[in-house]
Amino acid sequence: MTSRTPAPASFIPLKPARFHILLALADGARHGFSIREVVEARTEGAVKLWPATLYGAVRDMSDEGLVEALEGEEDPDDDQRRRYYRLTSLGREVLRAEADRLQSLVDAARGSAALGRT
Amino acid sequence: MSHASRGPEGPPRRGAGDGLPASVGWVVAAYAALGRFLPGDFRSRFLDDAVRDLRDTLRAGHARRGWPGVVTAGTAALADMMRRIPVEWWKALRGTGENRGRSGHPGTGEWMMTLWNDLRIAARALARRPAYAMAALVTLALGIGATVAIFTVVNDVVIRSLPYPDADRVVVIEHHAPGLSLPNLENSAGTLNLYWKRADFLQSLAAYDQQQRNLLGGPHPDRVEVVAVTPQLFQVLGAHPSVGRAFTADDAAQGAAPVGILTHAAWVTRFGADPGVVGRTVQVDDATTEIVGVMPEGFAFPDPDAALLTPLYVDPNGTFGTFGTAAVARLAPGVTLEQAQARIQQLQSGISEMFPDITPDFLKQAGWGATVERLQDKVVGAKIASALWIVLATVGFVLLIACANVANLFLVRAESRQKELALRAAMGAGRGHIASGFLGEALLLGGVGGALGLLLAWGGIHLLVSNGPAALPRLHEISVDGTSLLFAGLVSLVSSLALGAIPLVRYSGVRLASILRDGGRASTDGRERHRTRSVLVTAQLALALVLLVGSGLMLRSFDRLRSVDPGFDPHDVLTVGMSLGDGVENTEAAAFYQRVADEVAALPGVQKVGLSSAIPVGGGNHNGGSFYIDDKPRDESQLPPVAMYKAVGADYLAALRLPLLEGRDLTRTDWNGGEPVALVNKAFEDQFLDGKAVGRGVRWDTAGAFARVVGVVGNVREQGLQEDVRPWAYLPMVEAGWAYPHLSRMYLFIRSDPGTAPPVTAIRDIVGRLNASVPLTTVRTMDQVMARSMAETSFTMVLLAIATGVALFLGAVGLFGVISYVVSQRTREIGVRAALGARREDIRRMVFRESAGVAVAGVALGLVAAYGLTRLMGAVLFDVSATDPVSFVAAPVLLVAVTVTATWLPARRASRVDPMEALRAE
Repeated sequence: MTSRTPAPASFIPLKPARFHILLALADGARHGFSIREVVEARTEGAVKLWPATLYGAVRDMSDEGLVEALEGEEDPDDDQRRRYYRLTSLGREVLRAEADRLQSLVDAARGSAALGRT
Repeated sequence: MSHASRGPEGPPRRGAGDGLPASVGWVVAAYAALGRFLPGDFRSRFLDDAVRDLRDTLRAGHARRGWPGVVTAGTAALADMMRRIPVEWWKALRGTGENRGRSGHPGTGEWMMTLWNDLRIAARALARRPAYAMAALVTLALGIGATVAIFTVVNDVVIRSLPYPDADRVVVIEHHAPGLSLPNLENSAGTLNLYWKRADFLQSLAAYDQQQRNLLGGPHPDRVEVVAVTPQLFQVLGAHPSVGRAFTADDAAQGAAPVGILTHAAWVTRFGADPGVVGRTVQVDDATTEIVGVMPEGFAFPDPDAALLTPLYVDPNGTFGTFGTAAVARLAPGVTLEQAQARIQQLQSGISEMFPDITPDFLKQAGWGATVERLQDKVVGAKIASALWIVLATVGFVLLIACANVANLFLVRAESRQKELALRAAMGAGRGHIASGFLGEALLLGGVGGALGLLLAWGGIHLLVSNGPAALPRLHEISVDGTSLLFAGLVSLVSSLALGAIPLVRYSGVRLASILRDGGRASTDGRERHRTRSVLVTAQLALALVLLVGSGLMLRSFDRLRSVDPGFDPHDVLTVGMSLGDGVENTEAAAFYQRVADEVAALPGVQKVGLSSAIPVGGGNHNGGSFYIDDKPRDESQLPPVAMYKAVGADYLAALRLPLLEGRDLTRTDWNGGEPVALVNKAFEDQFLDGKAVGRGVRWDTAGAFARVVGVVGNVREQGLQEDVRPWAYLPMVEAGWAYPHLSRMYLFIRSDPGTAPPVTAIRDIVGRLNASVPLTTVRTMDQVMARSMAETSFTMVLLAIATGVALFLGAVGLFGVISYVVSQRTREIGVRAALGARREDIRRMVFRESAGVAVAGVALGLVAAYGLTRLMGAVLFDVSATDPVSFVAAPVLLVAVTVTATWLPARRASRVDPMEALRAE
């Protein structure tokens, strides 16, 4: 079943923009603007995904099978017909793998004597 | 005061679609335009979403921080897009992987890559010569910016349809009766009923009436513009309430319960855009009025100041006589404006059938007629339209001058590269290759210059709109939008192609051998190219001269207008309008106004306070009509005399320093039970009373007593400085009860010691103490009123002067560049001359001769062109002939002065050439 899917590890490490987008989609499908808002809120404005970059990354990740567009499903309250994106199972695995990698980095940093946290 | 709300922070204006602030609309439009450069696949999948996201982001930014927020976020987003475009093309061209065949169109791609390469090479070449690049860019930006800005104004004001469906089928119907000296009459109940019954060439017809009314309920009582309309208005305009309902025939019946429809602006400012506003009430003068609907945003009929629509009752049995109601109509399908005009003229014979006392003879004598005019033409006005076209033509000239300048720079550069080019050609580089090099540079200059120009235009338009010149109609509709963007792109492209083409044409017959042989020194070719440059500069100077003459004519018009004697002394007079509304009986109203005037007169620094029902020179609608003279019975076969009148209070003449020529001024005892009296102006006396007015009796109403003329005053240009003096009468406000049954509004004229106008708050306090529900309306100095009367002329003059200044500057720079270049090319020759004993003056004279030739040719050509072109300005000139000798003499003198200045530096440099240095350099 997984024989044709690339291994999640081959995507690691993720570029920060990609990581933030995947993370924003972790709790459900969102449209582009909502991804931007979630990322901006989560990073307290430090990461701003301007539309061209955002959709460039979304296109790349959808070509690579990490995210997919929900064709035809629209928020009935949203009359603007925005396209929604969600994680594929591969995308979820990649996100988890990247989070693990970051976690181990953080652990390493915390454990390091240089930070004086022993 | 009302203009303050039009600044960048004001209520949303027309943006790219659904009511965005203009700054947002502009950035979004630029972003979308830029996005067109993305590869097709990416563009079709994501551009719409990206644009929508940006719009939402910017809107949020605008809500938080106003337009600075929009600029910051917009710049970041545009930069992001610019970074992304090459990345996406790279990906599209090389394919992002073996299984992704969706990417791009290779044909476009390759072409794009070649262009990209050319541009990169050009950018490097330009970066090596920053002074040249800057000069070219600034020049192009000025030319393109001015053209785009004025094009935007012309497009939004004159060309673009009013914001109604099929707006060019919406017409205004008016009447005129030159025989009665009534050039412009609107409609009466009689004509309206006639058209409603018989005008089958109209799909629908609506009447409306603009009034100022007091709107109560807020912190201050407010004077707002209320438009009474018949229910057909919504069909005529094709505009319907976005909330609630339109008016029905029942709403407009006599005695119906008062209802109203808010405009979008009033809904937002007064009711916080409350969607539940339908059913609430407002107090309009004395009537409790129920809100039944809200008009959509962008509805600005008849102008953007309208706050409330109310139903208008038109008496189905109304008389022919009272003309004060405006009419708009929509033409029936298939009917042209010309047909409608012909048909309405035929219909006028119906007047005598419906109203037997209006005989065909009377109509004939009066020169009676009706006109059908497009609403848009009426709103914009022929005069301002022609002024705008003139200004657009002017900046078109400036653009030509700018292009000529850059072309000159281009030629100079091409010349310095001629050896290299000849070498390349000799080594087999095709002409296409060399051409694309030039073209790349021209495109880069045009593109960047265009972008800078667009920024200039954007800034200029903002400046224009926030200053709100009174002369400009549809001001609220002006913004830099997609059309401006397209126009800017087009202008930049055409300029680039023209620039790129010039060296190509020059080099089409390049004699390679001769260039390679003599190393590009002075040769026949060199002289020919020098001639091309001289021709370009001559053309620039000629164009600049045309503009100089044009602005000279405007300046003279403005000067003439300023020296028109208004008939009174406008300095140190403040005018303040106040409004009691319609409910108060005349005697009581007059007493109130006079009391306010007397209390204001007691304020420190105030000399005299007058009262009147209209502002002199203010334009607008005035009251008037046919009148009777006691000792001169009317000849019924002749047309009756017609004159205008206004109601005045005590001290009117003193406050305005209006000269009393004969008889006496009005006194307060005049309206304490004496015989009715009146003042008339000199024109009135001369035209109707055979030069002897004092003691005669006049009356405007059919019954009632004659008012005795007690004095004759000087002529005042009541209707505006550019209008003729007309016969006027001044009636004491108490007595004018037949004409002003309710003195709903009066103006104070407060003359104070120079520089000590009383504060408006003090006046507001006085009015508020006497009657808290009376709002102040207009607050203006009479000097401002005068300036407004000259606004159209001064507006045109200022724009022309700016354009001319730029043109003159560019022309001077062009001449300076060419002469400098000639001097530098002839350094060796000058050196030889100096070595042979030529004096400094001789050399200086030689250089001046060079520029004199160009200047004289430019002046001659320019004078001929100006003579042909300035006659198109007739409509905007005042009291100045289009061939005014002063302008035609002063302009060449100024131009020659500028050319001498521009030649001075190069001439000085030439005269200081050291012969040894010059010869050694070879």
